[in-house]
Amino acid sequence: MGKVMTNLYEIIEPYVEIEGGLMPALHAIQEEEGYISKDAISELAKAFNYSNAEVLDVLTYYDDFTLEPLGRNIVRICRAEACQSLKSKELTDDLTSHFDLSLDETAADSKITLKEVFCLGNCALGPSVMINETVIGEADKSKVIKFLNEIEE
Amino acid sequence: MSAKTKIYIPNETTSNSVGSNDIYRVISSLKGVDEVEIIRNGSWGAFWLEPFIEVEKDKNRKGACYKGVDLSHCKTIDDFMIDFQNREPFDISTIDFIKKQMRIVFSRIGKGDPLDIAFYQSNKGFNSLRNVLNLDQQEVIDKIKKSGLTGRGGAAFPTGIKMQTVHDQNNSIKYLACNADEGDGGTFSDRLIMESDPFSLIEGMTIAAYAVGATKGFIYLRSEYPLAKSFLSKAIDIANKNNFLGNNILSSDFNFEIDLRIGAGSYVCGEETAMMESIEGRRGLVRSKPPLPAINGLFDRPTLINNVVTLATIPPLLNGSFSEFSEIGSGKSIGTMPFQLCGNILQSGLVETGFDISIGEMIKTFGKETKSGKPVHAIQIGGPLGLYLSSNMMSTKLTIESLQSIKGSVGHGGIVIFDDSVDMSEQAKFSMEFCAKESCGKCTPCRIGSIRGMEIIDRLQTNKSSKQDIDLLHDLCETMEATSLCAMGGMTPNPIYSIINHFPGELTKE
Repeated sequence: MGKVMTNLYEIIEPYVEIEGGLMPALHAIQEEEGYISKDAISELAKAFNYSNAEVLDVLTYYDDFTLEPLGRNIVRICRAEACQSLKSKELTDDLTSHFDLSLDETAADSKITLKEVFCLGNCALGPSVMINETVIGEADKSKVIKFLNEIEE
Repeated sequence: MSAKTKIYIPNETTSNSVGSNDIYRVISSLKGVDEVEIIRNGSWGAFWLEPFIEVEKDKNRKGACYKGVDLSHCKTIDDFMIDFQNREPFDISTIDFIKKQMRIVFSRIGKGDPLDIAFYQSNKGFNSLRNVLNLDQQEVIDKIKKSGLTGRGGAAFPTGIKMQTVHDQNNSIKYLACNADEGDGGTFSDRLIMESDPFSLIEGMTIAAYAVGATKGFIYLRSEYPLAKSFLSKAIDIANKNNFLGNNILSSDFNFEIDLRIGAGSYVCGEETAMMESIEGRRGLVRSKPPLPAINGLFDRPTLINNVVTLATIPPLLNGSFSEFSEIGSGKSIGTMPFQLCGNILQSGLVETGFDISIGEMIKTFGKETKSGKPVHAIQIGGPLGLYLSSNMMSTKLTIESLQSIKGSVGHGGIVIFDDSVDMSEQAKFSMEFCAKESCGKCTPCRIGSIRGMEIIDRLQTNKSSKQDIDLLHDLCETMEATSLCAMGGMTPNPIYSIINHFPGELTKE
């Protein structure tokens, strides 16, 4: 998570002069700050010579960019076909009921945000769940809980 | 003194997903680990065996599956060696799953450290680039045309013709864009190249750029592949440092740089025009064609757009495997195709073989049976826009022509197996749901038709007298097919038609 007084321009500076720099700049802010704040939108608009509305227009198209902070851990459950064939629906039900969250919801203690994803390229050993940047194959509820406990320790 | 014993522990998404990293951590902290050399290799693509740990001693290399193995009883490296021998290790290259493939493009995967440039070069790597830099651009294009290579991303367009079009444009700036937004459910061949043999993609891109006269290349990689991102960015750095990228490549006067760009969770950005919009920093809305990207593409310049596997196929083509490749198959279905056998299947993984194989042979030879042990009920071929075949269609060939004749497509080569617990009406509804979620929103039939489609299928699932709804669904599918700009809306009806045609009575629940 970003420091309180992060200089937003410093984060996006490396991308301002490159071709099509808005996407990498959005990624950089999302990664540093955890979301794209109103201040960040204004900073991006200024740097890329867009209006605030244009920046908002671009970022709201993409699932990876969020206007609100997410949980400390993002749990993405794959719902694509190969995982469906290995009961990803049941896994999704298991996890949503265990965490008492629906998809795209963040836990009250901010520990996790539950999301769906369409394919992690781990189709040979599904069902798959990605926690932050780690993919869990042949996933079940206990594997997911164990992994989350380990990284939260 | 004899060479150190080598232990190969894969560092690849699927292998790591079932514990390869954990095993690496255990082994690398054992007492006496300095006596051995640990190599983080790529995966062989025989994923059901992962994590597949190999030991090489006196040039004799054997491995064993370490899935779910608890190594806590091992304190020293000798303890591990005893454990390893007790698992009856075998040479993976001798098992049918590997032996019966025709690995031309994926010839190196699993064998060594993907970032070891010396390993790459000692296995024919960069030989093609060296040769190509002494050839005329047209000679390179002619060879690719003659090889019969078609795009492996899904559309199967002849690669050489695309290259010719870009080459023929008179423009001071041209781009190459590698489409690494591998979004089809049930596919991972691009990921495997990028994680387990990234230099082959870099070499393929450099050759293609030389042939068409591009000096800058982009790789548009989906954000769901963080390990591929790490491998690619390191491989690009190493290639730059070794003069395989950058200015005056290998002392020639050819300059080429690669910029890695990351997608942001949009399936449609795998469609080439949406991908260009995204690289340019906009919403991933599909553009209408013409103009073709080859004429007016990225930043309004001529742009060669190819998928990862297509580009990675170029080096072996120009490097002694030309006739081996081009003599396989016939018609449009020339060369090898990396099929990705997955879903509910016992032996899942990457199968590089000719197209001329039936789905039945594919399952029997490579996949064996379902993972659940139940009968196969449906097979989806070619991703979310591909057909579902039923279990009595096992003789269907996987050639481009054969699948086209039944209104399907090989697509990117994904093959997803379902057992008899699958609910085909749910699969049909998912096709519409996926379209609704991923539609870029530009074309109304795709954006709204998909939602109406979900509603109709919902009704079919509950309403018994549904003749009118079936007609409506047909009508909707025809409209989506005829009036959507890209394959998202245009091909979403394909899996639905296939369920209506090949799974009679299964769309409507009784």
